[in-house]
This record gives sequence, structure tokens and C-alpha cells, in this order.
Amino acid sequence: MSLTFDIFLLLYLIAAALVVARAKDLLAASIVFSSYGLALCLLWQYRGAPDVAMTEAAVGAGITTVLFLVAIGRTTRREK
Amino acid sequence: MLTALWHNIDYVASVVLFCIGLYVVIAKNNLIKKFLGLNIMETAVFAFIIALGVIEDGQPPIMTGDAHGPFASPLPQTLVLTGIVVAVSTTALALTLIIRVYRRFGTIEADELRELE
Amino acid sequence: MRRPIAISLAFLAAVPLLAGVAGLPVHGDPSAPVHTHVSARYIEHGVEEAGASNLVTGVLLNYRGLDAAGEVTVIFTALIAVLAVLTVASTRDADASNHDGRVRRSDADRRHPDHPVSPIVHFVVRLIAPFTALYAAYVILHGHVTPGGGFQGGAILGGLFIALTMVLGKERTRPLVRPVLAPWMQGAAVLTFAAVGAVGALLTGVYLGFPVDPSLRIVRDLMLIALEVGIALGGAAVLAMIFLQMEAS
Repeated sequence: MSLTFDIFLLLYLIAAALVVARAKDLLAASIVFSSYGLALCLLWQYRGAPDVAMTEAAVGAGITTVLFLVAIGRTTRREK
Repeated sequence: MLTALWHNIDYVASVVLFCIGLYVVIAKNNLIKKFLGLNIMETAVFAFIIALGVIEDGQPPIMTGDAHGPFASPLPQTLVLTGIVVAVSTTALALTLIIRVYRRFGTIEADELRELE
Repeated sequence: MRRPIAISLAFLAAVPLLAGVAGLPVHGDPSAPVHTHVSARYIEHGVEEAGASNLVTGVLLNYRGLDAAGEVTVIFTALIAVLAVLTVASTRDADASNHDGRVRRSDADRRHPDHPVSPIVHFVVRLIAPFTALYAAYVILHGHVTPGGGFQGGAILGGLFIALTMVLGKERTRPLVRPVLAPWMQGAAVLTFAAVGAVGALLTGVYLGFPVDPSLRIVRDLMLIALEVGIALGGAAVLAMIFLQMEAS
């Protein structure tokens, strides 16, 4: 894939990671982490790793996020 | 060295993501936030390993009839596949422990937990 | 006080990592060591040796079968640990009455949720559920030819079950799995690996060995398919059970 798209995806990943690091709202951080996983899945699809991309989309972006959401629901949403 | 880094932009991005995750794990007090950071570190390592197996103009390593090389290396992909599943199981266990800690102490901030002891 | 230390530590960690990365072979270089040693052999002989056109599946189940066996053991152990942490009663939990009250309230939530699921989400999940299930079955059973395989299909199945549980509620999804079958499904991956490993030991003398003789090719293919289906069922059941346990806690 073209270099521009590569750079866009990599920059998106870094921006999403920074948002996760900065966000005080854990719910928002989890959702942004889910989109981070989806961007990673796209990147791996273009890198010729469709098996890993599929797993990351289902596990990294899906199930991990759900587990975080359940944990936030059982504890607190706000980071002090 | 800078040109080498520019050619290896995938590796550099992985390093940056790893360091962001490391910062979150060290600096944040909230245990759930710490584990979000740990997940970022894990995915950064996975991205690095996948990037190692990439080949110029490569195809996915699937040998159907009309596929022709060069093929990306299947070994790093296999290792990462294993790693992702192990990562989700460690995350699940950590989150259940966090839920239990919250029930016992009413907080999941690391410094408040330290004061309780 | 803590943040500057953390930032400087992160930068400090970045320096050796970047220096090491700069010394690696150029990204995508065909002559890099990763492409010239074991991968070259996998790509050249993998299809006839491992029995799968999708080399990732072949390497995962055949060449590195013990790796995959360890992996399914890890997720099974994680499930056991989650069950132990959440279900073993502790008298030391902070004010037990409050804890009981929370459990009862969340039970009530499930029957009459305070925040009902949005009709759009409800409709979309119900709309895509049969197609997702079909896709998961295709990914599992066709994983040796197209991208996919046991872990991917299992994750998709588990995710589908979790989505349905969140939208329809536990009462509607519980009948999908009989209580008698549930423990067997959670152990399916580990048990399949043990059984297939024993068959391999009988045929070749090595645990998880796959017969290479051309006349036994059908046996090898059956072993691979059994592993795929076992991993998928076990993975899906373990992920769904972890979610159900955390949700019910």
C-alpha cells in the first residue's frame, strides 16, 4: 500500500495511544483503545498478515474492550 | 542512522507505542489505566514482530493455486497469533483481580491502596 | 513528581530501542535472516509437509503444535483462575452487606435494565448474528485454505455470544448451551489436543506427531480438522465464560 496510507495509520496509532494515556475518563480510554486495535488490524491486513488481522479485530478490538467495559462497570469510571 | 530509521518507520512506530505504554504503566495510578497501558505495550511488540516478517511486495503466506511469491514469513504471524490469545487471558485475569480489589478496599488507585496497608 | 520521572524513563528506554532498530535489516528486505532460514523451508515444503495451504495454520498446528497446545492450556488456566478469584467467597470483602446489595441490584438490572439497549443496537446485532455465525463456521472449517483457523473462528464465535448476551440478556442466551455440555466445551481445546496428541503418539511415536506417509494423508487432515474445531469451540467457550463470570460478579 502507498506510503501515505502507512504513515497515516501509524500516526493514528500513536495519536490513539496518546489519547488513551491522557484521558481521565476510563470509558473513553477503552473505546479509543478499541479503535486503536481496529487501526492495527488494518495495518496488518496491508502487511500481508490477514490471519493476525482477523484475530486482532475479534480479540483485541472486540473482546478485550468488552472485558474492560465490564470491569469499569463493576468499579469506577473516573480516574482520580 | 536517521535514514535507517526512516526506512524502518514501522519499527520506529512500534518503539514509540511501546514507550507510550511504558509511560502509562509507570505514571498512572489507576489500575485499569495501567492495564490499558500494558495492552498498548503488548500490541506494540506484536506490531514489531509482524513488521519483521514483512517482505517487499509480499503476499500473505497462503499457497493457493494461482498465488505467487514473494510470501511474507509465516513464523512471526504464528507467534503473534499465540501472543494475542495469551494477552487477552492475562488481561481477563488482571481485570477480575481488579474487581476483587475494588470490592475489598473500595478503590483501585495504586497510591490509596498503598496507604491502606 | 511522578510524571517527569516516568516521561524521562520512557525516553531513556526509547534510546537503546531506537539504536537497536536502526541496526536491523531494512523493512521488507528479502535477504533478511528471517526470510532465509526456517521461513524459506516453510514456504517451500510447508504445504505438503504440514497439509494446509494457509501456512500460518500449518505452522501453528503442525510444526509448532506444542506451542498451540501450551496456548490453549494458558487460556484454560486463565478461566480457572478467573472462576477461583470471583466465586470463592471471602469473609474479608469490604462490608459484605453492601456487596450483597450490589449483586441483587445487578440481577434486577438484567431483568429490567435502567438503561435499555438502544433499538438500533438491538436490531443490528440481531440482524448480523446469523451471518456472523456462518462466517465463524466458514473461518473455522476453511481455515487451512483461506485466512482463518481455530483461534480466529473461536474468537469470532465468542464475540458473537458476548454481543448477544449483552443485547438480549442472559435468559435468552443461556439455553444455547446445555449446562451438562458447558464444562466439556470449556475444556474442548485442551481435551482435543490431548486426544490428537495421543493419536499422533500411537501413529508416529511422538506426542502430537503427524504421519508423513502419503497413504495416511487423510488421517493427518482429519487430525488437523479436529484440532481446528476443538480450538474454536474451546476458545469460544472459555472467552464467553470469562465474560459471563465477570458480568455476574
